Amino acid sequence: MKKEWPKENPCVPANLHTVSPNAMRLARLLRMSRRDMLLTGMGAAVTGAAASLSGATAAETHATSAPDAGSILHSGPEAAQFMAVSRKLTDRPALDLRIGNALHAGLVQGNPARQGQISTLHGLMEKGQFASAAEFAAAAEKADPALKDVIHDILTGWYRGVADGKVVVYRSALMFDITKDAVYPKTYAEGGPFYWTSQPPEVARPTGHPALSPSKFVVEPT
Amino acid sequence: MSSEQTLSADVVIVGSGVAGASIANELARAGISVIVLEAGPRVDRQHFVENFRTLENKPSYQGPFPSVPWAVHPPNQMTPNAYLHTTGPDAEAYQQVYLRMMGGTTWHWAGCAWRYLPSDFELKTRYGQGRDWALKYDDLEPFYYQAEVMMGVCGPDPAKEDLGSPRKQPYPMEALPISYAAQQFRKLIDEKTPWRVVHEPQARNTRPYDARPTCEGHNNCMPICPIGAMYNGSYSVYHAEAAGAKFIPNAVVYKIERDSANKRVTGVQYYDPDKQSHRVTGKYFVIAAHCIETAKLLLVSADEQSPEGVANSSGHVGRNMMDHTGVQVTFISGDKALWPGRGPLLTNVIDSFRDGDWRNERGAYLVHMVDDNQVDLATQLAISKGYVGRELEEQIRYLASHTVRLFSHNEALPDPENRLTLSKTQKDVLGIPHPEVYYKLPEYTVKSCDHTRSVFRELIGLMHGTDEQWTPGYFPQDHPSGSTIMGTDPKTSVVDGHCRTHDHENLFIASSSVFSTVGTGNITLTVAALALRVADTLKKELLHA
Repeated sequence: MKKEWPKENPCVPANLHTVSPNAMRLARLLRMSRRDMLLTGMGAAVTGAAASLSGATAAETHATSAPDAGSILHSGPEAAQFMAVSRKLTDRPALDLRIGNALHAGLVQGNPARQGQISTLHGLMEKGQFASAAEFAAAAEKADPALKDVIHDILTGWYRGVADGKVVVYRSALMFDITKDAVYPKTYAEGGPFYWTSQPPEVARPTGHPALSPSKFVVEPT
Repeated sequence: MSSEQTLSADVVIVGSGVAGASIANELARAGISVIVLEAGPRVDRQHFVENFRTLENKPSYQGPFPSVPWAVHPPNQMTPNAYLHTTGPDAEAYQQVYLRMMGGTTWHWAGCAWRYLPSDFELKTRYGQGRDWALKYDDLEPFYYQAEVMMGVCGPDPAKEDLGSPRKQPYPMEALPISYAAQQFRKLIDEKTPWRVVHEPQARNTRPYDARPTCEGHNNCMPICPIGAMYNGSYSVYHAEAAGAKFIPNAVVYKIERDSANKRVTGVQYYDPDKQSHRVTGKYFVIAAHCIETAKLLLVSADEQSPEGVANSSGHVGRNMMDHTGVQVTFISGDKALWPGRGPLLTNVIDSFRDGDWRNERGAYLVHMVDDNQVDLATQLAISKGYVGRELEEQIRYLASHTVRLFSHNEALPDPENRLTLSKTQKDVLGIPHPEVYYKLPEYTVKSCDHTRSVFRELIGLMHGTDEQWTPGYFPQDHPSGSTIMGTDPKTSVVDGHCRTHDHENLFIASSSVFSTVGTGNITLTVAALALRVADTLKKELLHA
């Protein structure tokens, strides 16, 4: 029988079930699942957690279970709004719907106020005629400075693959798509032995300007 | 409560990292019975790789390796810290991280496998600073080579690139070809400065070796090589097990027992995760539990016989804490695209500041240009600057291809005041006190870091750099050493030149904790060479007794 560890100790997880790397992943997924259930009123996400129990990798589970939960939550107009706003902010005509649903679910889970702000952004976009992401983002910040944060969240989602501080997608994050002629996502190199000795592509100095006011950049601890 | 069964072996080793596992392997292959007690769990590579991929904060080297309650390790380099409590004027500079896991901290090293220079062992004699070791470079040379063969080290041909540590044999593998970014860096250094860039010797395969594949350049040596092209301690664990050594995970040693004369160690006691106590007896004992945990274990074993702790008649257990505390800067090069992040993390080094007459007043150092994939950092930076859409993508490409990170490893000196003690207020779930370290950077290191900053500023200028981001203060390099310092005098040192404790004839220490000075270059190869020398001593004594 396992003993219960004293809860007052500040340096350890309160429960043993969180201590192995496997269990930590599972616990993370279960926490996510509980939120999914609260939001959806349905048990679909438990299926995702069960899938992870049966041996699916964490990365795959994140990538597949979240869209499932998302598709239940976001098959309606909110999902379409999120995708439309995302296309505008990335200057891209098409984005992956499954990834979009997962990012949207994560964003709203992390901060329920985001849904209203996404709708506001969408309304603004519909009213104006914005030729580019930069024009749209600048107008949004002018209309309401608080919209800058949700724009950051949306861009962080698509480019870093992160929503609500969690990895939703890793390899499929857009930052890797736009640099794939030069580098690989860490742990996924496929250039062959010593590929790194070859000359990578030159990159011209950008001429564009920021659309939003700058924000404080905090480097996370190593 | 004690278990009914007492375990026993010829040699009992505490710690399963490079030091402990390589000793176990050598002894088991010679037919000697070995038990290795590891405080942490046994986890396989693939779990760490998956943990990394789902980790939001990718630069967190500890992130993929969560600790267990019974063997806590520092969660990060933050001060205050939930486990390693640092105090003193330079507390933040000593916020080391390490792993308590089967295989040890080399799960997240970068494979840099330096031999120390002959002068590093004689700092006092040559430069009047610090101490001399109780051994010379030549004593260790055969064991350096044995360690290089064990790990699979690639390095340059000494005829073309002499790294200053005389070799009787060539490196087991040819040097790793350096990346395009490093080639450009080397060209600049060659043309514009009096310094030089050399191939860094690395425990990384440039051909299939020891049933492990050639490096494919996943750029993730730290925190986890996904394919095992880089050596880590787990491979010595596997070899040792195949040879018959017994490894027990989740076995937290908390007591070193001695005979009534206090001359010989008779056994160790460990807790399992349920705090059941178990006793392990043996003829010889090796503490190979990392610099910080080794000193901690000797101190927690204090009793009436040894009120200041085991092996501590000198009072030097826990003192003389050292590191390669360094300086770090990131900037945007104004020259052509470099695209760091292609290939392994660390392949090249400026070694022009490793030795010189100036070591009589300031510490030596190495400079790394880190070949780290900068795409994620570039993305975060570009978003925070306010870019969106097409302009954001242009910025990400530009920043990711032009970001340069430099850092240094600067030499410390042994100072008895820089001291590890047991926390009086913090304990783990087993009731074992957390470690606490008081740290004040030696003036010798401060001067060395000042020199490094001036070199970095010159390099930034040569690369037409902008947007300098200096890591505030001093940068801990996770190379703690000195806590059971080596010396010839039992009054001022803990172990002799063979890493045998002065106080207890059958107790050895295999760890960077025995270092008398810390030189430059990553410490692991020296730890391994010293450990293999301990194995050699034990074999002689056990097989020819």
